[in-house]
Amino acid sequence: MNWFDKKEKLSRRQLLKLVGAAGASAYLLPLVEQAYAQGISIPDSGATLPSDNVTLRWVDSGDQKAVFFNEFFAAYQAAHPNIKVAYDPLPWNEIAQVVPLGIRNGTAHDVFQLPLSVSGAQAVSEGWVQPLDDFIPNFAEWKAKFPPGIFLPGITDFEGKTYSFPFTSNKRYGTHLLYNKAIMEQAGYDPENEPLTWSSFREAAKKITEQGNGAYYGFIMGGNQINRWADVVRGFGQMAGAVGGTGAQITADMNFLTGEYSYNTEEYIAAVELLLQLRDDGSVFPGMLSINAPQARAFMPQGAAGMILQGPWNIPQWERDNPEFDFGISTQPLPDDGDVWPLAISEGGANGLWIFKDSPNAAVAGDIFHYLGTLEGQTQWANIVGAADPPVMPESIANATLSPRAAQALNMFNEQVKVGPNPVVRNPDIVQVTLEMRTPEPSFAQVIQGLYTGQLSDVKAQMQDVQDRYTAELERAIAAANEKGADVSRDDWVFSNWDPRSDYGAEKYDEL
Amino acid sequence: MAIPNLNTRATPKPAAKSLWQEIWKARWCYVFMLPSLILTGMFTFYPIFASWYFAFLDWSGFTASKTFVGLANFQEVMGDGLFWGAFRRSFIFMLVSVPLQMLLSLIVAIILNDKALKLAPFFRTMFFIPVVTTTAIVGIVMSFIFSPFNGPINRILVNAGILSRPIDFLGSADTALWTVIGVFVWKWFGITMIYWLASLQTVPADLYEAARLDGAGRWALFRYIIFPLLVPFAIVILLITAVGSLNVFALVQTMTGGGPFYSSEVMEVYIYRTAFGTGGGGSVPRLGYASAAGVFFGLAVMVITLLQGLAVRGMRARRAS
Repeated sequence: MNWFDKKEKLSRRQLLKLVGAAGASAYLLPLVEQAYAQGISIPDSGATLPSDNVTLRWVDSGDQKAVFFNEFFAAYQAAHPNIKVAYDPLPWNEIAQVVPLGIRNGTAHDVFQLPLSVSGAQAVSEGWVQPLDDFIPNFAEWKAKFPPGIFLPGITDFEGKTYSFPFTSNKRYGTHLLYNKAIMEQAGYDPENEPLTWSSFREAAKKITEQGNGAYYGFIMGGNQINRWADVVRGFGQMAGAVGGTGAQITADMNFLTGEYSYNTEEYIAAVELLLQLRDDGSVFPGMLSINAPQARAFMPQGAAGMILQGPWNIPQWERDNPEFDFGISTQPLPDDGDVWPLAISEGGANGLWIFKDSPNAAVAGDIFHYLGTLEGQTQWANIVGAADPPVMPESIANATLSPRAAQALNMFNEQVKVGPNPVVRNPDIVQVTLEMRTPEPSFAQVIQGLYTGQLSDVKAQMQDVQDRYTAELERAIAAANEKGADVSRDDWVFSNWDPRSDYGAEKYDEL
Repeated sequence: MAIPNLNTRATPKPAAKSLWQEIWKARWCYVFMLPSLILTGMFTFYPIFASWYFAFLDWSGFTASKTFVGLANFQEVMGDGLFWGAFRRSFIFMLVSVPLQMLLSLIVAIILNDKALKLAPFFRTMFFIPVVTTTAIVGIVMSFIFSPFNGPINRILVNAGILSRPIDFLGSADTALWTVIGVFVWKWFGITMIYWLASLQTVPADLYEAARLDGAGRWALFRYIIFPLLVPFAIVILLITAVGSLNVFALVQTMTGGGPFYSSEVMEVYIYRTAFGTGGGGSVPRLGYASAAGVFFGLAVMVITLLQGLAVRGMRARRAS
């Protein structure tokens, strides 16, 4: 029986016991944390660290990073008693305000992630950041150990110096299938052993909804989070053969074989129509348009839906917060004709960290970056974070202790995600195009949402309109950049030697 | 013809004080005003003037480079269908919510003003609680209440047989704006009720008694005694409520974010979206453009208010003649 169910008043003895327990835990908790933190051993990097008391201020977008850094910083502070780390994990919308304001006032964090709307090139040209080369011990040797595609000119490197350290891998995608095993089995599907196709995904969603009879539905997604619409259509369209990039607007949905956007392709149109078919079948969670992605994620363990298309960051979260939730993971539903294409990413690394130009603690930041870029640090990262944010060094995945689902996801990403070409690496002047480029409104994502809600009609015409508006904006941005001295042409987006089924490494750029 | 100066000798002219002397005389008043003057300057006037300046720039808001573009932002604003959509919705919001809020709160205030009602203070507090509750929290809680999945409103409607299938109140283009308006009226209804109650309490009790002795019923009492006395207050309450109905950012942002597909996007959300690039799918921040939209909207509201004032004055003049 629950203690609260007894409906008894708290006796004096019970109260004393509770107070005693609380007091003891207040003493013991730091010790337990310390013991746990001691699980991370940090070898001496050879950095010259300050001997007086300093506080390193660090801000990033938190989430799974916070799980790791809370543990890591405790260990780091234990190893360096004179160094305190003030860690601020913040949501992206707050980073968008805190970082630029801090820089303007000269009070920015020592280490930060850039707001999503600010490119690395902008941060460097604005003088917000400083190169890492002098602060990371044995820099050249350290950098050489990373796989190709992590440090790229125009992305992390500028004028021969390295400014940003992306310590996790971009080899993941945010629209793979996560499903409620019991519901799925009852409906007669086993996606782990037999991946769903577009058709069987639609059938399964329908069957689950009928089976749920109002208690649960076939498919859920965070429909008021605009980018999710683009993510799903892009993922489906590209895997079906409309190969192209992701990331910033100058690379997202761009077919690097032709140098044209993919919005009006058969594959993209079919992907939008698949979403409309799910809607018309009544297979979609009824409140889908008024929830965001984290809310949709939270509904899954409650048994509100059978399937969600999301990213690997759900795995550790559900395993930690909802250990009783039995879920499976699988690939994004595959095209019916069986001709599956990999998804392309524009750069190998993610979660780039930058050092503030006026930071007095750059040496401490460099010491921490050094650790994060060693096999040991990468393995420790994988041990704690799992598949959510894969480590950048593939060897560390083999060394790490991962949950079976996390290991399955990482193997799937290695197979399904390849590094694609990046026009900025080919022609650094394209950075100026990114500065000029404004996403047309309504955006690709908003148009899909409008089609889904019925406020827009005629998928083909709408996608052609998106194609025309985006192409016109790209051309305008190129013309504006060229007027300001850049030398860019549409041909810079055509990579004739690109094989979408393999990684596009630095050597490929030399062949062009 | 020369005009004789008759007063020069009879009453000597008092020595004219310069402006500086006047200020010096009242120096303590100015000293005491200084803190609020500084704060108003910093937090009211500076942002207003700054937004006028920004409106002429092509500027993201975070880069050092700002390009002066003249009236280009205003031209773009005027050609943007999404701006006019948000403009229209802001006025729909005001035109629907203000009369609803004014009327409902007046009825409740009249009922609660009755001294015979023993539980009046309790109900007053109940109606006022939403006013002091954080708007963002109200928005989030309301999105649960209106949820089509296990949300109480849908459950009641479905169980009562009114609906066969739950409605996604906040996810449907047909209902999102109206639902937010409903919640807005509910949230701010209490404050308008307090204004009405305060004005009702200015009506002298003997007027009620005299009217009752003359045999006036409830309607006659309202029509001939309360209403005429409330009119001057009503104009002020109308103004406060109308201004309040243009400040709906927190509620709309937390309940719908302006969606789905712009269907509940009011001006404040439009300005926020364009200023900070929160439209999703790669939107970029454009503080200059957003400032132009804000300035244009402010001017448009000012012009509409002036025209309204002129129309009222014209009507009064016609009636008087």
